[in-house]
Amino acid sequence: MKNWQWIALGILFLITLILEFTVLADYDSHWWNAVPAFYALWGFLSCLAIIYVAKFISNNLVKRDPDYYDR
Amino acid sequence: MIAEFITIPGIILILGALVLPLIPEKLRSSVFLIFPIAALVVVFGRPDGYEVTGSLAGLELVLMQVDALSRLFGIIFAATALIAGIYAWHIRDLGQQIAALVYAGSAIGVTYAGDFFTLLVYWELMAISSTWLVWARRTPESDGAGMRYLIFHVLGGGILLAGILWHLATTGSIAVTTFSDFESTAAVLILIGVAINAAVIPLHVWLPDAYPKATITGAVFMSAFTTKSAVYVLLRVFPGWELLTWFGAAMAIYGVLYAVICKDMREILAYHIVSQVGFMVAGIGIGTEMALNGSAAHAYSHILYKSLMFMGAGAVLYATGTTKLVDLGGLKNKMRWTMILYMVGAFSISGLPLFNGFISKAMTVDAAGYAGNETAMLMLILAGVGTFLSVGLKLPYFTWFDKEDTDIEVKPLPFNMYIAMGIAAFLCIFYGLFPNTLYIYLPFETDYQPFTVYHFVEITQIALLTFAGFWLYRKKLGGERIIALDFDWFYRKPAPFFRRIFVNAIDNLFDIIQITVHAFAIRISGQFDNPMKWLNPFGRKDHNAQTYSPPMDVVMAFVLFVVIVLGVFLIF
Repeated sequence: MKNWQWIALGILFLITLILEFTVLADYDSHWWNAVPAFYALWGFLSCLAIIYVAKFISNNLVKRDPDYYDR
Repeated sequence: MIAEFITIPGIILILGALVLPLIPEKLRSSVFLIFPIAALVVVFGRPDGYEVTGSLAGLELVLMQVDALSRLFGIIFAATALIAGIYAWHIRDLGQQIAALVYAGSAIGVTYAGDFFTLLVYWELMAISSTWLVWARRTPESDGAGMRYLIFHVLGGGILLAGILWHLATTGSIAVTTFSDFESTAAVLILIGVAINAAVIPLHVWLPDAYPKATITGAVFMSAFTTKSAVYVLLRVFPGWELLTWFGAAMAIYGVLYAVICKDMREILAYHIVSQVGFMVAGIGIGTEMALNGSAAHAYSHILYKSLMFMGAGAVLYATGTTKLVDLGGLKNKMRWTMILYMVGAFSISGLPLFNGFISKAMTVDAAGYAGNETAMLMLILAGVGTFLSVGLKLPYFTWFDKEDTDIEVKPLPFNMYIAMGIAAFLCIFYGLFPNTLYIYLPFETDYQPFTVYHFVEITQIALLTFAGFWLYRKKLGGERIIALDFDWFYRKPAPFFRRIFVNAIDNLFDIIQITVHAFAIRISGQFDNPMKWLNPFGRKDHNAQTYSPPMDVVMAFVLFVVIVLGVFLIF
């Protein structure tokens, strides 16, 4: 990833934040609309949770050598 | 009557499979394409309420029945058969071509079936024909996987048949109807039979077992038909069964977890089908008009981008001979177009704006929220994060990036593969830009508007932060040479043990009996090759029947024998 790509993504994120606090300031259809940048938080935490849970399941339960069923 | 019968869209494709062997080999792949096109024309031409009926053994069969829902699935099934047919244009394998046509035809048949018997016939045809697409790979792995796949589907078909018969016995009707929540045992049996094809966990294991081992082109067909025809039946017969909401949400998360664990392109995509079908099943469970619309639209979109992604993975397999992430990486210069086309599918499936996943996934997820089921909604959003992470970031990153370059030898792709992927990618973007072209075909009228600021903010924040998370922890996701166990462990691991008891032990028993009988026969024939040995105890013992036959001795011996027997009778 080049620097300008990170900057572009950062600007995009800023735009979503600005929209959230201006256009969507009064939007309220779910309880989490009160949490600022909820979807960013949920996205990031979900991502980490999925990686760690998947890793945990893989290492402790389901990971085997490819010839496991042939032995 | 005959004309009506042979213009049933599913029948057109199945008749095509009968005609295909008569066509010269060079023209076969091109002629193949005529049948999906013809089916597509008929699908668009038949109005709502159109019916073809027949009767068999006193049962009224409805061979074809058209409404908005069946038309929607008919369109996408026929279109996918055409696209996959173009993708497979370079194939010269009659068996696969016939299997693919029958498979596509029976999937379309299911969507138009108006009674359960017709549906069951197509259902079983689908199982058999798709099995051949696995076996046609002709490797020991695909032989085993194909057999497990077939057994699983025969079991599912059997449970479905049991449910249908029970339903017929209790209600006297075989018309396809809508069952209310846990209406009868028959309905539950039918649900289990359909759930096997819909890959509802824990009945999903046939899918990630068989799809990665199917042929390159076979997997494209398979990704479209079996699970989505089951989704169609769920939509028609089981809308609003609350249980399905939770099974669906669980499937959506289960599928992405395994998609993150697995290290093989087609395995990741296969597990991801489970996740995507989870979205649809959840929508069916919610059961509001909006949710059912969302499920149907999502099935439609999903078939397009998932077949595109399977085509991309198939292209990599064709060009490099492997789909293991550990062997790939750095292909970005050598397979640039495949990457770009795959990424269209990946962005679509991740529901990014302006791609077709956005217009259907948002609808399903929103429907959960509008129905007041915020837990299910958050679960689906979490599964959406996993989607982007596994097939939108991990898979392409470790296939095309990760290394600057690669020394893998890359075979050039047949041009028809690019055309097929191009059409699918075009449709993904087209529907993403003009959602109403899809919405007008949905089963319920809708004025749903996907392009809102709220959706834009939601999906962009989720995608950006998922990307950030992936970038930070990407080292954890790299390729390894492993397989991941699943529920199929419960029958694959004990299989050798049961084989010993029920196959080998029986075999051995028969062997022992056979050997005993044989030994007895040898003894007897040894005794009788020279009866003189025991008829004339005073003669020579070394008679050999092959070199010397004592005819007179034998005759005399029999005369003596008869005299003795008669004497015995006279005396007593």
